[in-house]
Amino acid sequence: MMVPVRCFTCGNVVGQHWEEFKERAREGEEDPAEVLDELGVERACCRRMLVSHKDLVDIVSPYQ
Amino acid sequence: MSEEYDVTFIDRDETSARFLVRGVTPAFANGIRRAMLADVPTLSIDTVRVIENSSVMFDEQIALRLGLIPLTTPDDYRPDDTVTLAIDVEGPDTAYSGDLVSSDEQVQPAEADVPIIDLKEGQRLELEADAELGYGKDHAKHQGGVAVGYRHLQRVAVVGEKSEFEDEEPRILRGVIEDDGELVDTEAFEHDLTNRYPGKELEVTDVPNAFVFDVETDGSMPIDDLVLKAAESLSTRADELEDAVQL
Repeated sequence: MMVPVRCFTCGNVVGQHWEEFKERAREGEEDPAEVLDELGVERACCRRMLVSHKDLVDIVSPYQ
Repeated sequence: MSEEYDVTFIDRDETSARFLVRGVTPAFANGIRRAMLADVPTLSIDTVRVIENSSVMFDEQIALRLGLIPLTTPDDYRPDDTVTLAIDVEGPDTAYSGDLVSSDEQVQPAEADVPIIDLKEGQRLELEADAELGYGKDHAKHQGGVAVGYRHLQRVAVVGEKSEFEDEEPRILRGVIEDDGELVDTEAFEHDLTNRYPGKELEVTDVPNAFVFDVETDGSMPIDDLVLKAAESLSTRADELEDAVQL
C-alpha cells in the first residue's frame, strides 16, 4: 500500500528514496537502474523493494 | 587469542565502513558481527496510543511502520528507558517520519523523509508513541547494524606464467585482497583477477586471522559507536561469565 520503510531482507531503510524514485523513474523517463545507483541503493534486495512497489492508497481510499 | 591486534580502515563514512582486523580468531570475528546485529541496543517505537487514525491503514500497520523508523540513540540511555514521540498530520498531506515530535531533543528520526501514510481530504493521523531501548535479538527494528558481514583477507601471489595455449578463465574475488603487502579493493579490477594479471598463474590463499568487515548502520548511531559498543558488549558478557563460574 505504502512503500515499505525498510528492506525486508537486509533491514536497510529505503522508504525515503521512494518519492524521488517514483518521480524520476516511474513518471519520468530515466533508467531505474541509474536512478537507484544515484540514490545509493546498492544491493539487489533493497533495489527490488523500490522497483517492485505499487502505491495502493489512491486505489483503496474511495472505499473507506 | 593473541594479545596483539590491528585495525586498518579501508573505507569509512558516517553510516558505512570497511575495515581490516588482523590478529583475531574466526570465533571472535563472528562474535563481533553477531554483537553488532543483536547486542547493541537502539531506540525504537514500541507502544503506540492512537488518538485519531482515519487513514486507509489499520492502527497496527501504522505502528509497525513507525517502529521500523530508525531513531538516533544517545549514549546515556539504559534498557527500558522510554522517550515519547507524537505526530499530528491532517490530510490532504503525507505524514513523514520527520513530522514526529520527540520529547528528547537528542532522539530524532534518523531519516526525516520516510513516508508513513498518505492522507486524503478529511483524513487525520494523531498519535503518541513510546520509544524503548531494545536489542536486535528481540526485534529486528532494534538492530543498529545493517548487512554486517566479514570475509577472510585473501593474499594473491603470482607463481608463474600461464602456458601459451591455456584458456584464460575468470578468477572472481570479492572484497579486499592483499597484494605484495598492499590492500586492494577488488572493485579496482572489476572483481576479476585476470584483469589485473593477464596470462599469469596465480595463487590465492586466505590470510590467517585477518578479516575484512563490511558494516553499515541504519542511522541510529555512527559507525564507530556501533563497533565499539559491540566490542564492549562482548567484553561485558565475558566478564559476567567469569563472575558466574567463579568458585
